[in-house]
Amino acid sequence: MSNEHEEKVLSIYVYEAPLRLWHWINALAITVLAVTGYLIGSPPEAMIGEASEHYRMGIIRFLHFGAGYVLLFGFIGRIYWAFAGNEHARELFVPKMYSILWWKELLTELKWYLFLTKEPHKYVGHNPLAQFAMFFIFLVGMVFMICTGFALYSEGAGAGTWSAVAFGWVRDIFPNSQTLHTWHHLGMWYLLTFVMAHVYVAIREDIMSRQSIVSTMISGHRLFKDDRP
Amino acid sequence: MSTTPNGFTLDNSGRRLVVDPVTRIEGHLRCEVNVDENGVIRNAVSSGTMWRGLEVILKGRDPRDAWAFTQRICGVCTGTHALTSVRAVENALGITIPKNANIIRNLMQLTLYAHDHLVHFYHLHALDWVDVVSALSADPRKTSELAQSISKWPKSSPGYFADLQARVKKFVESGQLGPFKNGYWGSPAYKLPPEANLMAVAHYLEALDFQKEIVKIHAVFGGKNPHPNWLVGGMACAINLDGDGANGAVNIERLALVGSIIDRTIEFIDQVYVPDLQAIASFYKDWTYGGGISSQNLLSYGDVPGVANDYSASSLLLPRGAIVGGDLSTIHEVDLTDMEQIKEHVTHSWYKYPNGEDGLHPWAGVTEPHFELGPKTVGDKKRIEALDEEGKYSYIKAPRWRGHAMEVGPLARYVIGYAQGNPEFKEPTDKLLRDLGLPLEALFTTLGRTAARGLEASWAAHKMRWCYDELIANLKAGDSATANPAKWEPETWPKECRGVGFTEAPRGALGHWIVVKDGKIDNYQAVVPTTWNASPRDAAGNIGAYEAALLNTPMADPEQPLEILRTLHSFDPCLACSTHVMAPDGGELTQIRIR
Amino acid sequence: MKKKVTTFYDVMEARGISRRDFMKFCTTTAASMGLASSMVPQVVHAMENKPRIPILWIHGLECTCCSESFIRSAHPLASDVVLSMISLDYDDTLMAAAGHQAEAILDEIREEYKGNYIVAVEGNPPLNNDGMFCIVGGRSFLDQLIEVSKDALAVVAWGSCASNGCVQAAAPNPTQATPIKKVITDKPIINVPGCPPISEVMTGVLTYILTFGKLPELDRQGRPKMFYSQRIHDKCYRRPHFDAGQFVEKWDDEGARKGWCLYKMGCKGPTTYNACSSIGFNEGTSFPIKSGHGCIGCSEENFWDNGPFYERLTHVEGFGIESNADTIGMGVAAGTAAAIGVHAVASAGKQLTKKDAENT
Repeated sequence: MSNEHEEKVLSIYVYEAPLRLWHWINALAITVLAVTGYLIGSPPEAMIGEASEHYRMGIIRFLHFGAGYVLLFGFIGRIYWAFAGNEHARELFVPKMYSILWWKELLTELKWYLFLTKEPHKYVGHNPLAQFAMFFIFLVGMVFMICTGFALYSEGAGAGTWSAVAFGWVRDIFPNSQTLHTWHHLGMWYLLTFVMAHVYVAIREDIMSRQSIVSTMISGHRLFKDDRP
Repeated sequence: MSTTPNGFTLDNSGRRLVVDPVTRIEGHLRCEVNVDENGVIRNAVSSGTMWRGLEVILKGRDPRDAWAFTQRICGVCTGTHALTSVRAVENALGITIPKNANIIRNLMQLTLYAHDHLVHFYHLHALDWVDVVSALSADPRKTSELAQSISKWPKSSPGYFADLQARVKKFVESGQLGPFKNGYWGSPAYKLPPEANLMAVAHYLEALDFQKEIVKIHAVFGGKNPHPNWLVGGMACAINLDGDGANGAVNIERLALVGSIIDRTIEFIDQVYVPDLQAIASFYKDWTYGGGISSQNLLSYGDVPGVANDYSASSLLLPRGAIVGGDLSTIHEVDLTDMEQIKEHVTHSWYKYPNGEDGLHPWAGVTEPHFELGPKTVGDKKRIEALDEEGKYSYIKAPRWRGHAMEVGPLARYVIGYAQGNPEFKEPTDKLLRDLGLPLEALFTTLGRTAARGLEASWAAHKMRWCYDELIANLKAGDSATANPAKWEPETWPKECRGVGFTEAPRGALGHWIVVKDGKIDNYQAVVPTTWNASPRDAAGNIGAYEAALLNTPMADPEQPLEILRTLHSFDPCLACSTHVMAPDGGELTQIRIR
Repeated sequence: MKKKVTTFYDVMEARGISRRDFMKFCTTTAASMGLASSMVPQVVHAMENKPRIPILWIHGLECTCCSESFIRSAHPLASDVVLSMISLDYDDTLMAAAGHQAEAILDEIREEYKGNYIVAVEGNPPLNNDGMFCIVGGRSFLDQLIEVSKDALAVVAWGSCASNGCVQAAAPNPTQATPIKKVITDKPIINVPGCPPISEVMTGVLTYILTFGKLPELDRQGRPKMFYSQRIHDKCYRRPHFDAGQFVEKWDDEGARKGWCLYKMGCKGPTTYNACSSIGFNEGTSFPIKSGHGCIGCSEENFWDNGPFYERLTHVEGFGIESNADTIGMGVAAGTAAAIGVHAVASAGKQLTKKDAENT
């Protein structure tokens, strides 16, 4: 098709290595947490034989807790990187909601998704709409899941353990542990919905927008498909 | 002065006495009477003073959960509401239960009878007859003689009673009388000699220590008491006699525990409760008050199905039927599904019917709380000094059977059983009357009610043994099923259905009516024993069983409501039960929010 | 005039109990409260010297299961508690007096033992209808509660009604039944939840106060830590079956008969803080799970609205019948997937038109 068009490709280094590593570890952790979490709520058919021969629920829960720790420490590392890394490392935490321009861009991007504009703008980091979703769905969701998750974890770990000290207060917000479980469970679906949209949008943008998306999270480089502003 | 349609003369011209709270009952009851110049009660008003709206809460919930909610109607007759509820749900959904489940349920219901009657007699009722302070002047030796003359119960030595007397003395001298503080000690209404008082006080304490043993049967099968667990479709306590993991289920150790408790229960009731009852009664033979409507209208739904899933009169070990107008020769059939038989009225109750209907069958029932005081009320809505019985005056509705106010409870069951000529009820009754030298009419009194309860406790304890033997026989035959999960899942239920479940609670006839729609409770109604007995007046002016029973009783000292308590307690009031009826449309209730 | 004070030991002695038996009793009491044997002398001292503390036990909207549970206590025996440890001066369920003779006791104790009596509340006050859904002595229970608590040393909230509202406070709470902690805010409140609480937990709380002369240490929800700091699940004897993944799948199935875990039958043990799986009910005879039925979570706030009791996942109100976190989540996920599908098709269409345009 486009042999006669010479695409001028520009490349900017956006995502540094620690950030990319975090992204993929985090994705893996969320996958493990979602699968094991679902199974904790609805366990598989019963095992037969002596109880001492099996440890299926134990393993499922262990994987859940292990992945939970990975998620938590990954998240702490990610916060560190927001300070240590480049400016794109901070986008997740501080969307520029104070800027009128940011909101205008958000509107433009929204129009693009509603097929109201022909061509989107170019963005080095996340576009404002993505920033908005990243902050309000992903980041808030992550914090909610970490807080409720480790609050639940502290129930088993017991009084005086670090999780009880750090997250025990979360238990007081909810009338009881069962309700906390329910909210934690709903939180999983909230994040999974985000993941679905996230993956779809990333692939779609990769194809339709004027910059690379998916490969950027692998190589770190943002490639632009044209040199128009 | 006026005469009610059910034949009682009321005169509210005399002095008004108020007893509130009525203590040693479950829940909140208020009683007001008018006494004439001789201290005789000429008018009586019974008012239930609490409302919880439990069935409003049930609407929209899973019918399999209903038993747990309704069980919390009452923690004293714990279990009986739950049993009634699972029966109602099973009836609606067409679920049958295994034979073992039926036997275990019967065993639990009878356990409740034995426990509840015992606790009622000693801890809620005895102090109406027994003067604790008088026990201090008893001669322990003579007490021992008295005790040994009426029973072979081993704890009856002079030393035992002397120690006990010393304990009570010390307690009284401490000045901290605890639950006996401000009692009516020394009142001329107390008739027992000091020795009988001392014996009764000893048994008050023994019964307090023993009652906790009886209900361990509930713990074995239901996990705890109060409020054991039940299950729609059977019982959750799986039986495993000698298979793998039998130590996690009902096995021979658990069964042996149940067996031993039954033996000790029979022993205690037959050697302590019944002899005490007879001894106390012998001193109050001439106190013949408190009959009320018991000699006229009695009602029992029957209970303890001998055959699993068969709730017809022939299967029920406790008699079923209604007696009207004192005609013992005719036992009327009772049908809980007949929209004409049982109706609830609210003319004098703190509710209103949307279309001003007079009475409604539970399936069509409506409950919209409507707190309003009559014009002659003394005081105001925040501080009631005296109620106006011509207006609304109780949170209890007025249920009527074919328009009649009915009495329910052990006396009703015994008289109906007696009238049917059932030897299980006739023979012990005749024997007791013979021993006391009293005619049949003596049953229709406060004391008759109390005596029927005692006889029934003994009947229940022996029936527990019978159930236990039946359970063992069925297990020997190789049947160890306890639950039928075939219709457990809501997908297997009809889209819309309704059912009724009934039991005889220790206090009397109990019915639950349920409507299930799309797997959820659409309507839930309970008409409970105390609703019948503590009922206020209806539109026609018929007074309820409590009110009727109090009439014409002379009070030794109107300042001390001993006689009133005596008669009210003989019904074993349970007010939390009686005052929680529902609105089919729970939404309307939010309108009554005042603050 | 100073009254002669009867101590616990006096009463025991009067009952003909030997010093040796008394010491034994103190040791068992200490053990039942989980105290080290070195604490026994303190228990003995308390029993020998403390006067009986007056308790005013009042009843609001409730079912009396707490009172019933209380009298089931085996160690100490309820009769010993009432006769020897406390002075149960007011309790509508047990007291001899009625009417104004009963009411007079409340005033008398408030006067005489100002700041030195305990109010035990069973049930809770309704706030709707000016509190007149529960009337005692012609006035609202709410008024009685506030009045009686005014001069109390502490308030013990018996059971789930007083602690959390319990069944009458379940949605839609037609009477606006309200837990004690929301009505009495200026007194130490000990919440002893459960429907009913375990007998020995109830008497244990009183014995603790009496023995150590102080209120037990409470958790953030005001419950004594000694009984409510762990979940039933944490000490459940069926826990190995949970860890192994061995569950009862249907009532009376093989697993039920082998005593497997009731998790899939909706057991709320993993989310319920109580001592059932260690102390047990009725002198340790059993507890719900031991008798084959899952825990319904009766000591947890709002547990009635966390049903149904027979499903692991709570139904979430407002999403139609039988919606739990999974059905809602899957619904949302399916919706998202559908939206993505539609959007993807539209995007593909647009991309093609664009390419076509570029190609022409």
